[in-house]
Amino acid sequence: MKIAVCIKQVPMASDVKTDPVTKQLIREGIESVMNPFDYYALESAIRIREENGAEVIALSMGPPKAEAVLREAVAMGADRAILLSDRRFAGSDTWATSYILKQALLKIGVVDLVICGKQALDGDTAQIAPGIAAQLNCVQATGVGEISLSGSGLVVKRLKDRGYDRLRLSLPAVLAVNKGVNVPRVPRLKGYLKAAEAQMTVWNADDIGADYSLIGLNGSPTRVVSTEMVQLRRRDTKIFTGTAGDAGRYLMSVLSLKGVL
Amino acid sequence: MIEIPMPKHSCEKLSFRLERFAERFRKTVDAGFCACLTDNAMGSLTFQGHEVMRELSLSAPGGQVMIHLNTFHSRSEFMEILDTCAEMNVRTLLVISGDGSARLPKLRPSDIGMNNCETVTSVELLRFIRHAYGDTFQLGAAFNQYEPPEHEREKLARKLDAGIDFVITQPVIGSHPEVDRLRDTLKIPLYVEAWMSPKIQLLSDCIGYQISDCDDFDPLKTLNCLHENYPDSPKYLALVNFSTQFDVLKER
Repeated sequence: MKIAVCIKQVPMASDVKTDPVTKQLIREGIESVMNPFDYYALESAIRIREENGAEVIALSMGPPKAEAVLREAVAMGADRAILLSDRRFAGSDTWATSYILKQALLKIGVVDLVICGKQALDGDTAQIAPGIAAQLNCVQATGVGEISLSGSGLVVKRLKDRGYDRLRLSLPAVLAVNKGVNVPRVPRLKGYLKAAEAQMTVWNADDIGADYSLIGLNGSPTRVVSTEMVQLRRRDTKIFTGTAGDAGRYLMSVLSLKGVL
Repeated sequence: MIEIPMPKHSCEKLSFRLERFAERFRKTVDAGFCACLTDNAMGSLTFQGHEVMRELSLSAPGGQVMIHLNTFHSRSEFMEILDTCAEMNVRTLLVISGDGSARLPKLRPSDIGMNNCETVTSVELLRFIRHAYGDTFQLGAAFNQYEPPEHEREKLARKLDAGIDFVITQPVIGSHPEVDRLRDTLKIPLYVEAWMSPKIQLLSDCIGYQISDCDDFDPLKTLNCLHENYPDSPKYLALVNFSTQFDVLKER
């Protein structure tokens, strides 16, 4: 069984800034991290491998520096990683990105399961998993909170606003997992040492046989017309530990010390 | 005691960062100081002291290593840290509640057999370690003189009740009345923490209260001041600059 996990490198949430003219995210000089939802996707794949045997392939589209999140994926337990990097990919919207990922999946060969995080922290669209499923013309489930293999397919619990659906899916399938699906492991030093030495496969548009008219801005049917900056109020956060009584007393003391009470 | 920050989780320049850590560790231990290894300080993911020591074959001669241990671990990792520390002759632990992050699991009361509490704090960890490991470890706890005194004193009383062997303050600039009170009343060793970074604002950010607004904070002068004000208290040095300060400290 082959499982591909789609991973995105995103700017650290606290550092996000937008160019006031181009309305695009400023990525230079900003610390980048793995999209937090993708840890859950990766953990789901690794657990399936541990229980049933599989190959887990981490896949990411991005600039060369996105290699860092793929190495982190290997440190966590992915068997190998593929970076899709090409200037011609720049400006791709979610539909063009789904097409690029689909092309890479076809090049990998028979992929039984594609797992994505629920959404990316920067774009927040939650469209990539459905986009890949549409591009591959295979079944999908979003909002997945539980996964188990069953016979030749999968049974997933799809969370809804009220309650959940339990779905039986045939393979190949595409899943978008929620945060509650598992508790992702934290990689250890040995994992990072292995990942630092891991060979990184890099594919460009030609490697995956991409049609140039379907990638980048040309291949993107959507446009960002305008964006608006929301001014956030500055907040100090303090987490009180201990029992509810202790935390309450502590909160009163802190508020008093700060002159609020 | 000299605190050595652990290398952060990343493959970037990993060998270089590990080598630099090993060099600082050896320098510290060879100079007769105790090397103190942090545990995901400020919630930033870093490698654990025990795994780096094991990987780099760094030893802990004569109790010269102290490992910080907080509540943000899975049970299996927590037990592995304790067992490995015992095996590697790391016998001093600073047990703290710690700073969490979305990526870190948190120990549950049931993980350490405590079903009569709602959450695991440093007090529960201390009780568990003392119960499960007896006198294997010298256990220390933190005292934050910047927190509301009544609350902090009550917390310290619970830590003392859990069987701690020493206390480490938060960084002291000059002196602090709560630390003075502790020095005069505490029956176990009190380590006074010295802030060795010239960036004093960082300390305010760390503890959540404004400490001092001076622009020309001199850590070495402040350390001298601490030696004068607390001559009998050993010092715990945080954020030592190994390029510019270590040799000066060693000379002393």
